[in-house]
Amino acid sequence: MADVEQASQPLLSVRDVSKAFPGVLALDHISLDVYPGIVHGIVGENGAGKSTLMKILSGVYAKDSGTIVFDGQAIERTTPVLSMKMGLSIIYQELNLVNTMSVGENIFLGRFGETGGRRGVHAKARELLDRIGCKVDTHRPVSELSVSDKQMVEIAKALSFNSKLIIMDEPSSSLTEDEVRSLVGIIKDLKSKGIGIIYISHKLDEIFGFCDVVTVMRDGRVIATNAVSAVSRGEMILMMVGRTIDNEFPPRPDCVEEPILEVKNLTTRKLHSVSFNLRRGEILGLVGLVGAGRTELVRALFGADKVGRKTVLVDGKPVKIGGPIDAIGHGLAMVPEDRKAQGLLLKFSVEWNISLASLAAMSHFGLLDDSLEASMCERQIRALNIRTPSGKTRIESLSGGNQQKAVVGRWLETKPKILIMDEPTRGIDVGAKYEIYLLMKRVVEDGGSIILISSELPEVLHMSNRVYTLCEGRINGEFDPAQATATEIMAKAFEFA
Amino acid sequence: MRRQPSLRAPTRLIGRFLARNPIFVGILGLVVVTTIVEPQFATAGNFHNIIRQFGTLIFVSLGMTFVIMAGFLDLSVGGIISLVAVVTATQIDAIGQGPAIALGLLIGLACGVLNSTLILKAGATTQAESLFITFGMSLVYGAAALIFTQGGTTYLSYSVSSISIFDAINSGSIPLVFFSVPVSFVLFVVCAALLLVVERRTYMGRAVLLTGANKTASRLAGVRVDRSIVMIYAVSGLMSAVASIVLISQVTLASPVIGQPYLLQAILAVVVGGTALVGGRGSVLWTAFGALLLILLNNCLDLLGVSTYIEFMFRGAILILAIWLDSRRAEGGAARMAPVEAPTIAEHDLVEGA
Repeated sequence: MADVEQASQPLLSVRDVSKAFPGVLALDHISLDVYPGIVHGIVGENGAGKSTLMKILSGVYAKDSGTIVFDGQAIERTTPVLSMKMGLSIIYQELNLVNTMSVGENIFLGRFGETGGRRGVHAKARELLDRIGCKVDTHRPVSELSVSDKQMVEIAKALSFNSKLIIMDEPSSSLTEDEVRSLVGIIKDLKSKGIGIIYISHKLDEIFGFCDVVTVMRDGRVIATNAVSAVSRGEMILMMVGRTIDNEFPPRPDCVEEPILEVKNLTTRKLHSVSFNLRRGEILGLVGLVGAGRTELVRALFGADKVGRKTVLVDGKPVKIGGPIDAIGHGLAMVPEDRKAQGLLLKFSVEWNISLASLAAMSHFGLLDDSLEASMCERQIRALNIRTPSGKTRIESLSGGNQQKAVVGRWLETKPKILIMDEPTRGIDVGAKYEIYLLMKRVVEDGGSIILISSELPEVLHMSNRVYTLCEGRINGEFDPAQATATEIMAKAFEFA
Repeated sequence: MRRQPSLRAPTRLIGRFLARNPIFVGILGLVVVTTIVEPQFATAGNFHNIIRQFGTLIFVSLGMTFVIMAGFLDLSVGGIISLVAVVTATQIDAIGQGPAIALGLLIGLACGVLNSTLILKAGATTQAESLFITFGMSLVYGAAALIFTQGGTTYLSYSVSSISIFDAINSGSIPLVFFSVPVSFVLFVVCAALLLVVERRTYMGRAVLLTGANKTASRLAGVRVDRSIVMIYAVSGLMSAVASIVLISQVTLASPVIGQPYLLQAILAVVVGGTALVGGRGSVLWTAFGALLLILLNNCLDLLGVSTYIEFMFRGAILILAIWLDSRRAEGGAARMAPVEAPTIAEHDLVEGA
């Protein structure tokens, strides 16, 4: 706690702040102190209340009770513009920049007067960007920038308000590793200038990498605030999920039998004569860079896209898969990559989302059976521990992890022999991830097989019995993750790059 | 004093119901205002008149509801009505009235299936694509009607054979206990009830809503999206044919351009009823009330002696109002929960990281 004691006065002091939305207590007497020159991490599962707290600080929401003191001033009611002027900036996950305008104009949006006209805008913007070592031309439209450059522009914008406190909401979620490294450099630089930083993240590596203090939130409450050096990874996960998770991954299932699926010479515009097999009770990992053709491969297999050629054998018998309906008929199921666009019917109830894949099977002579649907939904909600007020709740109001469990539950109802999971844990929190892993384990223990695609290498390596590497539309390697190292596998996946 | 809460509760319930269903405010308002200004409104003769006018429009609108619920549009209904009208009317003498009506219904169904086949073959997935394809087909059907009749009008009363079915639809009524119900109204009740059952209770009805809400996700989950597209256009074509037969019964003639005015009114009735233009939300029941509102407005303005041109303006205003209310309702959830003036960040999900 040495760092914390050095800084005498907190920059931001939150005391007993509560906020209720209809039906949920989003924040329950939150107290928090943030000091200048300290990187203050905030972690918690989805729905823990992190974003609500940020939105109260920035003035998007009004607090119900409690006090907030920022820089010696009590804040009763603020607005996003007011709080920026006071020196409190927030950089959101979805960046708030005007794509069609230039970098300079974005930094001084609505404040051209302060800089003395257009030329001043670019000169001052240059100065700010140089301070954080960003070389982007201030005349370029924001639409041409990479995500990380856009983030730099947001940081420069925060600096232009002489911000004393910068809040970053999961800034690294869309950055490459290199970009994260340069962001860390900037954060350290800001810190040395005495600026306070609140860093919200899912990723424990980052918290342990460069945060000084970490606050764990759960169910709208602050569980603990500690110096990072004083807690272990395990303790932190325990605090986040409220129960013990000895390992981030369950032990690998180990019953591998005869092939249940064989794919031969699958060829599309992006894939070149791909052949592979899947065994019963196996989790098969597909590793490759983005664009290597992983998603194309499973979509083609599932019949989601029209394919040039493919031969598919299920249980040794050749089958024709012309579309998802054929695939489902042969015991395939797919949890798609983009949960919101391809997986969910956001405006519909949890119940309708779960029954989706079994609708045809559960209707008699074209008539739906409501009670069957309701009991199916109840069964999956209970089995998968989907946290929802009821089956009638709109699925869009659930957290990402619970939405994903509903998508998985939809397929479990069809009793699939082969479950394809494309990025099943993207954007969901540690606790829900673990539950998804346990689900996968249960599926293979019940005799099913899983094809797993994930950009998180540890996930693939820990969960899979076997891993194929995919590179530029070809399968170029097969590994046993128990034997091979992550480096070997990645080297193979990068082969042609 | 003590009874006040119990009195207030139902009032509040009604208030909330009206706030959620602004269409009933419109219908009630129209009825009350017109009855006060023009007592003639509340006469049996006028009610009969309203039910007659209800006829053609409601049948087209019912079919159109399914199309719009699935996130598509059918601009060919005007053409289908015209084509069915001229074929049916001219064939009465050739094959008899029953077979002529059956032929008309079959043509409507076939036109709908043809529309959907073209849409599927063209790989059209958006509302705009379906709009242009059915617009093209509307021209085709309209032209077919013109070619078929050489532009002439057929009068039902000149028929040699019996036209008793048409007469019944036009002016017949079925006696109930206290009053008699016009045949066309009974026909409406039967069609609406059937479609409501399809919508609420069947797999196809669900598939229509799912298709409208998210075609991609539904297709990936094995929902028969293509089949539901065929179904909605088939229903729309068939209902247009029913509308056409009701129409020629009432006006006792069939001209090759007779269906033209009904397209816009049908879309209007569906949207005014509250079915979302983007798909995924709606009901044939709402559409029935939407059509009722339009007919009442029409009737009220007629009684008040307002010119037809001004009527068009009213219709336009109502359409815009309906779409405005619809977009408000669509973002309702978030708007209610975050009553703060923060336009740039308000789009953020309330649910964290979702």
